[in-house]
Amino acid sequence: MKFTSVEDVQKKLSEADYIASREIATIVFLAAATQKPLLVEGPAGVGKTELSKAIAGTLGRELIRLQCYEGLDEAKSLYEWEYAKQLLYTQIVKEKIQDFISESHTLAEAVDKIAQQEDAFFSERFIQTRPLLQAISSPEPVVLLIDEVDKSDPEFEAFLLELLSDFQVSIPELGTRKAVHIPFVVLTSNNYRDISDALKRRCLYLYIDYPDQALEARIVRMKIPGIQEKLVEQLVDAIVKIRKMDLKKKPSISETLDWAASLIALQVQDLTPEVMIDTLNVICKYRADTDLVKQAICKIT
Amino acid sequence: MVNLILQFVALCRTSELKVSTSEALDCIAMLQLVNPTDESQFRAVLNTNFVKTRRDQSHFDQLYSLYFHNLKPDVGHLENREPGSDLYQEVLENLRDTETGNELEQAILEFLSGNPLLLLEKLQKLRASEQIPSQVLKSNLGGLSGRLEIMLQINQTRNRITRFMEGQGGAGRTGSRKQIMDNFNRRLDVGLNLLTEENKPENKGLKQVKSEVQQGKGIGEKFFSSLSKSEVEEMRQVIKQLVRKLNDIVTRRWAMKNRGVLDIKKTLRRAGRYHGIPIEVIYKKRPPRKGRIVTICDISGSVWSAARFMLNMLFSLQDCFAKVKSFVFISELAEVTSIFEKYDINEAVEKVMTEAGIQYEALTDYGETFVRFKKSHMDVLNKKTTLIIVGDGRSNHFNPQDQILGEMRDRCRRVVWLNPEPERFWNSGDSEMNLYKAYCHEVRPCRNLNQLTEFIQELVL
Repeated sequence: MKFTSVEDVQKKLSEADYIASREIATIVFLAAATQKPLLVEGPAGVGKTELSKAIAGTLGRELIRLQCYEGLDEAKSLYEWEYAKQLLYTQIVKEKIQDFISESHTLAEAVDKIAQQEDAFFSERFIQTRPLLQAISSPEPVVLLIDEVDKSDPEFEAFLLELLSDFQVSIPELGTRKAVHIPFVVLTSNNYRDISDALKRRCLYLYIDYPDQALEARIVRMKIPGIQEKLVEQLVDAIVKIRKMDLKKKPSISETLDWAASLIALQVQDLTPEVMIDTLNVICKYRADTDLVKQAICKIT
Repeated sequence: MVNLILQFVALCRTSELKVSTSEALDCIAMLQLVNPTDESQFRAVLNTNFVKTRRDQSHFDQLYSLYFHNLKPDVGHLENREPGSDLYQEVLENLRDTETGNELEQAILEFLSGNPLLLLEKLQKLRASEQIPSQVLKSNLGGLSGRLEIMLQINQTRNRITRFMEGQGGAGRTGSRKQIMDNFNRRLDVGLNLLTEENKPENKGLKQVKSEVQQGKGIGEKFFSSLSKSEVEEMRQVIKQLVRKLNDIVTRRWAMKNRGVLDIKKTLRRAGRYHGIPIEVIYKKRPPRKGRIVTICDISGSVWSAARFMLNMLFSLQDCFAKVKSFVFISELAEVTSIFEKYDINEAVEKVMTEAGIQYEALTDYGETFVRFKKSHMDVLNKKTTLIIVGDGRSNHFNPQDQILGEMRDRCRRVVWLNPEPERFWNSGDSEMNLYKAYCHEVRPCRNLNQLTEFIQELVL
């Protein structure tokens, strides 16, 4: 499946339960049309990862995810030889090798014979593909999500740069692998550190901020069907007010949704200060924040 | 269309919004995919290509509205041109003919005809001027007087236009005359606004650690500034213990982390001893990745009490980092790494106060410090460095030179600002914290041992 226009993106994403603003839709459309990677930034929990899931859903592609962290290297992101398996196989076929070279008269001849069979040990059979190689060599087009790039080391970033500009990797023993289909790449970042300019230059940049009140209400209604209108209003109103407070971690959309779900589970009809205090732990993740909100509770509800 | 975008790109570049050629090319190619007459789409395309970090967003917004809204270049549809624009051009032509060869005036006339390039260039020059003020008499009036000059020139141009228009009176153009005058005035006002409104980079990703502390009894909650001599000793003991504990944790973690991938060569070689059966499995040892630290400490009286403990801890934990480099400043900058290498830590801390070789009576000047740092020490920063600045950001109203901090940010991994003042005093008086904050990855208050410990722990682990 392909996107035909910006409106089409907006429609399809909303069918996949993701409400995209016009700006988001435009940029997603461009990324799909130009096959450029998409770099998404924004506070935690505004739906950065969700966006790539929705894109994968609407395009009918598989989502391959690579979570970055300090110390992530090529062996964990690209491919690794299965040494244990190779060793095991060597042991098992040892006798076969004996048979194989028994007819040869000189040592040189034997070595030549084995050399001809080299490929047997450095072949697809013993390679363990990791997300990046998977995404490149997949016969079907995929969506590749590289989550929290800013957590990875600069070395890994440089490696990504090469991969994202040519969509090919070289494996010394096997040769260069070119992408079968160019994957739709989404990178997310939390701005822990600045990403290098070179990488940014290759990407389309999208910043997702907290949604406005109307949009957030729409999201709650869509994700949690059957929630009462009055509760949605109260809930979103409270969240917007809490977000304006000076908190360590502001509640994001995912927290709003968790909160709504827990209120439904508690069969709450009306958001009173008492109910709020009881369920505050869902939205505030620090004790200091909880205390702060408790103090201002009468202003919020 | 292409010209329009290229002109905008040139505009972005003059005001220091980095746009590469490939980004401009991408942008033009992408505009063909969307409907450029829909402004939200048009803007989204420009935005996604030219703004690659959230901090540049407000900068872009300003330029965008200046170029596409306030100056309204003719976007190809000539029939939509405002009535009287011929006359507008005529007036400009006339002014140009009679101009006095003044560079500034030329810039303003260009601005009026819809090309703000020259004017912005002038402004940017003013903003980025980095002269070290003379030691005897410091002032930062240089930038201000430059601004004033432009303002005067704008007003002068305004007067000339008015005079010219009055002289032109008659000939059936009275209806559009007022309109043209309004047009000129509007643009000139936009120009004036440019001078007075500085755009401040916003820093949404900033990690701001906040903790309201009550001053408690424990040594951990005592403010650094109110320590007695015996408490300083006690503090050192506590720090010593803490450092030992941290060192332990770090070594243990590295021991775990060192368990890397299988070393096939060594394993096979060893297997030779046992008839080719790999009994011993050997792993490749990975060298631990250590961070480099550069600290810049304000050692004027107000901050030193906190900075000394910070330095004490950092240098005690030297093994955890690849390299710790340290600078101190009041108005000049001096490297003190060697003092810490030569002497015992506590001794070194005392020595810094007397032997760093800077003027101790001077007024704190962050701007000058940054200028000097850029001049002679910029090479210590690279993508592995964490830059820690300890200071209250009180620069005695000297030019803060915050753009240099931006350049420093571009060069290093993280910028962390520790401020020994309580948060409610930031941004009051001569504190430039708000300005500097925009360029940091993290700002935290650092007033007592608990806060300091928390920070060091995060840094090491």
